This record gives sequence, C-alpha cells and structure tokens, in this order.
Amino acid sequence: MSIACEDYKVGSAFDELIAPDGQPRPLARGLCDYISGLGENELLDRVAAVDAAIMTSGITFTVYTEAGNIDRAWPFDVVPRIIDAREWERVDRGLKQRLRALNLFISDIYNEQRIVKDGVFPLEVLQDSKNFRLQCQGIMPRFGVWAHICGTDLVRHSDGEFYVLEDNLRVPSGVSYMLENRELMKRLFPEVFGRYRIQPVDNYTAQLYDTLAALSPRPGERPVIAVLTPGIFNSAYFEHSYLAQQMGAELVEGADLVVLEDDCVYMKAIDGLQRVDVIYRRIDDDFLDPETFRPDSCLGVPGLMRAWKKGNVGMANAPGSGVADDKVVYAFVPKMIKYYLGEEAILPNVESYLCMYPKERDYVLANLDKLVVKPANESGGYGMLIGPQSSAEEREQFATLIKANPRNYMAQPTLSLSTAPTLCDEGLAPRHLDLRPFVLQSDRLYATAGGLTRVALRKGSLVVNSSQGGGSKDTWIVEGSQ
Amino acid sequence: MLSRVAERLYWMTRYMERAENTARLINAVTLMTLDMPGEATFGWHALLKVVGMDQSFFEHHPEANEAAVMQFLIQDERNPSSIMTCIAHARENTRTFREVLPWESWEWVNELYLYAKKELPGELDRRQRFEVLQGIIRRRQSIVGLLSGTMSRDGAFQFLRLGRNIERADMTSRILDVSYASTLPAYTPAGAQYDDLLWMNILKALSAYQMYRRYVSVHASSTQVIGFLLHDRRFPRTIAHCLAEVADVCQAMPQANGVLNSVRSTQTILDSADSTQLATSGLHEFIDQIQIGLTSIDAALRERYFSFQEICIPTSCVEGADSAE
Repeated sequence: MSIACEDYKVGSAFDELIAPDGQPRPLARGLCDYISGLGENELLDRVAAVDAAIMTSGITFTVYTEAGNIDRAWPFDVVPRIIDAREWERVDRGLKQRLRALNLFISDIYNEQRIVKDGVFPLEVLQDSKNFRLQCQGIMPRFGVWAHICGTDLVRHSDGEFYVLEDNLRVPSGVSYMLENRELMKRLFPEVFGRYRIQPVDNYTAQLYDTLAALSPRPGERPVIAVLTPGIFNSAYFEHSYLAQQMGAELVEGADLVVLEDDCVYMKAIDGLQRVDVIYRRIDDDFLDPETFRPDSCLGVPGLMRAWKKGNVGMANAPGSGVADDKVVYAFVPKMIKYYLGEEAILPNVESYLCMYPKERDYVLANLDKLVVKPANESGGYGMLIGPQSSAEEREQFATLIKANPRNYMAQPTLSLSTAPTLCDEGLAPRHLDLRPFVLQSDRLYATAGGLTRVALRKGSLVVNSSQGGGSKDTWIVEGSQ
Repeated sequence: MLSRVAERLYWMTRYMERAENTARLINAVTLMTLDMPGEATFGWHALLKVVGMDQSFFEHHPEANEAAVMQFLIQDERNPSSIMTCIAHARENTRTFREVLPWESWEWVNELYLYAKKELPGELDRRQRFEVLQGIIRRRQSIVGLLSGTMSRDGAFQFLRLGRNIERADMTSRILDVSYASTLPAYTPAGAQYDDLLWMNILKALSAYQMYRRYVSVHASSTQVIGFLLHDRRFPRTIAHCLAEVADVCQAMPQANGVLNSVRSTQTILDSADSTQLATSGLHEFIDQIQIGLTSIDAALRERYFSFQEICIPTSCVEGADSAE
C-alpha cells in the first residue's frame, strides 16, 4: 500500500484535498507532508490506536439485521477533510438563512398558510404530506421556531460548489460522532494540530444547551432539561446518552415521564415527581404521545402534546416540524427563502424533478437510468433508486411505484459527490463524501464549524449512511494557510 | 435523580462488587490449595455454596471439580453471578446512565469489560487465572478510585455506596456461614501448624488478613475472626462497617424512614452477637438472621426508591417536602 500523495489517483469527481494535477490543494499541503512524514508503519500504528480507542470508548451504533441488532464500532477514517474558513463563512450564512426560512414556513403552514394563498406553495403537497400534523394547527411555539435542531446534508459537486441535498428536521443524528471524531484526532494526531488553525467544534453542546434552555416555560431558573430516548435498542442511543451527559441533562425514557392533570410534565425521581421544563426528544412524532398519535406507542408519554400545546413544556424539535422534512417540500425551499426573507438562496438546491407534475414525471420515467429517485419521507438512504447502478427490473419496479403515487416521489440528477483520500487496504484512495452540518435556532442561530463528514467506504459507492457501510472523517474548518 | 437510574446505579455497583469479590475469593482459594497437605482434597462444593451457586451448578455439571467450578464461577454465562456475567451486566447498566457519572467512567467500565471478554474465555491454568483475576480486580479498583476522586457526592453517588456496601455485607456473611457449615477448605488438618489455617484463609478470602493482623492479632482464632468480621468498624468489609455506611447514606436521603428502620433492626441483631458463643454454636442461625436483614433492606430500597408507584400531587413533590409514603 502507498500513503504517498504522488501515488494517489484523483478520479473525475472534485477531490477535497488533492487538485486534479495530483498536487495537494494549498491548505492540504501541511497534512500531506505530515502523513508522508509519519511513514506507513507509524500511520498504521496510529490507526490501530484509533480503533482501540473507539472500542474502549464504546462509540457504537446499532445496525438492524434479520439476525438481530448488532452494536458496531463506529468506522472512522483518520484522514481529515479540510475546508477553507473563507469558503465556510458563506456556507454558514447559507445554512442559517435556510433554517430561518424553513421555520417561517412551518409556522405559516400551521397557521395562516399565506404561502399557499399567495400561490407559491401548492396545497396538494401539504394534503398528502405524511408529516403534516393536523394536531399542530393554530400553534405558535416560542420564537416561532419549530425545528430547533437541523441537520442539513450538503454535497460538493464536480463544479466545486456545495449543494443542499436534504434538510433533516425531525430527529437528525450524528453530531456526537462529529464531536468524538475531533476528540479522537486530537488524542492520536496531536502534532498536526500545531500546523493548522482549526476552528473548534466542542462548543456545540453548550450551544445546544442554551438553545434548549431558551424554550423553558419558567425562565430565570435553571431549567430541567431531559433528553427523551426510545431506549438502549435505538440505533442512536449512544448519541442520546452522549448529549445528555455533555449537557448535564437527564436521559429519560417515556416511562420515566408522566403528565398530570395540571398539564405539566414530571419525571419520576427518587424524591418524588420533578417538573421537566424542556424535552429534547429523539422519538418520532408518531410515537411521542399515544393520546394524540399512535395509540399503541409505548415509547412516548400520554398527555405530552397537551402539556406542549399549553406551553408548559418546551419541546425540540416541535411536533409537526417534519412537514418540512419532505423531499418534495425540499424542492420549494429556494422559493421560501425568497418569499419569507426576500433574499436569494445562498446555498443552491440540487435540481429536482417532482413526479406530481406530469411533465416532470414523464421526464423522470424516461430517464430512470440516469436519475436518483427518492421517496418523499424516508431517511437513512432507504427506498432509493440510484439509476446508473440499477437493474432494469428495479427501474420497472420504481416506474410502477411512481405512477401509483406520484406525489411521493422526486428525482435528482446523479451527482458526482466529491472525494477525499481515505485509508483503504490498498493505501490512500479516493472515496465519496457528504457533509452534515448541524444548525440550531431558538432565540439565537448557530451552525457547527464544519459538521459530520460521512464517507462511502466502498469503492465507487455513493451511499454514505452508516447503516449501509458508511464511515466518517473529522472535518476541519481551517483559517488561512498554515 | 430518576428512580430508574437510581435502581440501575445500585445494581451496577452490586454487579461490580460481586465480580470483584468473586475474583478475590477465587484467588484466595487458589493460594490456599497450595498450602494444603498433599493428601487433602479441597471442598469445591463449599466454594459454590459461598456464592450461592451450588444448585445452579449441579443443574449443568455432575461433579464439582476444580476446572468445572472455576469455569462456572468465572466465565459461564449461564451462571447469573459469574464474573463475566456480572461485568457484562454492570457495563450494560452503565450504558444507560452515562450522563450521571464522570466523563471517563464509561470508558473505564467498558475497558474492564473488553479486558474480561478477551482474557476470560478458554481454559486458564492456575497461574494465568491468578493474573487475569488480579487484572480484573485492579481495573475495578481504578473505577472505584475514579468515582471517588471525581464524582460529586450527589444522589447517584449515594446509590453506588448503597449497592457496594450491601453486596459486601452479603459476601462477608456468606463466607462466614460456609466456614461454619462445611469449613471452607474441607480437609482434616494434619497437625498444629494448621490450627490457624482455616480462619486465616477466611480472612484472606475477604482480603482482610493484613488488617486483621495489624489491629487484632497474628493468630487467627475463631472467636477473634468472627468478632472482627462482624463487629470491627474500621475494616471496610465487615458487616458492622457496611451497615454503618448504609445507615449513613440513608440518613441523608429523602424520606428514607422505611429503609432506615430495616437497617437499624439489622444493626440491633448484629450488636447482640457474642462472638465467643458463636464460635462454638449458633453461627449458622445467626448468619441467617443477618441475611434476612440484608434482604429486608434491599426490599425497602426497592419499595421506596425504585418502584415508582405512588403518583403524588405536584405540591408535595417540592424538593425536601416531607410526604407520607
């Protein structure tokens, strides 16, 4: 294997560290020199130390398989991704702009629906939306903010530009891995940090705490904040426990909470019931409150919606936020930004074809082999068709699905995701990446410096989801050169 | 603190403590067998009784020989009290309340688990066994040290103390009990040099030998050892010490009257014990009473803190408010 930059073969996609001529990009020069300087054996030793540290820290995620649930160690690639702080400054603004517009949209949709009346957003999209909650109509949460925590997936296309792939507004996960990745890098490659000015990421949990604390119905006191988890069998349990620990919050399960006749939420504590002010819920709407949503849910808390509607408990993200976490609604975000903020979108969307419109549907059906087709409301990379890698049979199947329920499908051109050198069996080789920054909004707006870079570890693969063989990298927002 | 978390903290330390105590016991026994005269046979059966696992052992094994008993006590996942099972349970519990512990705790608990998982499978000869169990004890002790040095003396810490002391008192009483019923190394001493040996070994099984020698006597007589393990207040594994710790915790806990009553009545039983008399007769019956006392403390804890049945009205839930149970 080779870890020398000279032996690295840049593909046709944009590479984050190596320019098309094979030379490191200006900010990557120091890193490449450092890696070459370590030498192969030393690098492999460090990688082994990283793996051991991951095992010891128990940084895991759960994969659901037919044979049962497996707790897997988090796959981490030691070569970081570097982004210039000057470039990031614009992305940062774009992320905040987008979340502001999305929250204005959700407020509007559950109240006056001006955007529909003004003909900017079609009513039929709403009517068929799985995540539009009638129960939320007429509600205006504090600050008019519904989605307090947003994970925005970005990809860099071969033109070198960042595009927004999707907005995760329900229960986006992954931020704990972003934080752990940085800790691992600092522990195992401390020298390289001396060569760069890297923006820190570890203020995220303090920002998250402040974002949540601002939602407390009893301002002034130190709020009681609880992270509501479905429990230890959830794939993101590690993260729930991590965030609770980092914020000094309580990690609770549905059965630990109760809503009394005063419509306040209490935790069952050893010295009696203790009022809960803010819930950071990591449970989907459907399971949140068996009184309001699925009656068979045993993960949630009966009466939680009552308490929230009365303003007796803050909840992030607010129930109903998922209405904007819909791949068809996504296509309208640039229009929303224009409509609500009077601004042009700073971060472009990926070109999208909505199958609900006959003309666009015909185009999609005629070009299935070139497009990526996505269902409106799935996450984790499930239920997608990746045209160029699909069989005729699969395309046939999707054509039937689309015709049966056009509103539920949208398609995008197959993007060429950017690559970065990744340590593989054969040495450093290009692998495709995306990037999920996390954006917070309540009385403030905040975006992480960088985010979670996910990498498709299989050669040529575009699927970065950890449930499907993805790994991750530390992401550096670097100021100036060296 | 959540009732669920309190219960898991309590059990997490009980499991940890049990794993450590079992490891210490096995190591003491291993050394003990080396002292035995060649013709003597060791009472492996008695060892199973100490840990209360004789019944479940014989469900799986026809005969109690060294290899089978060691495997069962150390590795067997069918044994709910084997060292490996206890460590795995402790780890799973810790995963569910990482937020109440100091940052590195989970990592250290996990590291102990990974160590046990790597080292325990497979047949261990006596030397390896000793080394690996020492490794487990040392790792468990560093977790204790970490918690003691970096954890606030909050509610969570108090539940750790409760679990640790109840489990210890339980182990001490069991070891004393079996010593009476079947004499731990079940062999006939061949001469005067073995007089002290039985009681010395009991002290060693509880890692109490050194402190006993220092503060009581160089000779290990039955009266003195029984008196020490029941009543000494300074050594942290005696029943008196453990109960005092439990009482101390409960005094600072909210509405702990029920639990305190159980603790106090167990302490009264303990105080009434006359070790000179117990050395000749009645030790087994006495230990039974202590065991019943420990069980009642455990039940009182469960009722008061872990099973959250009563839904009190909010006004009575103000911190410190005194509500009837």
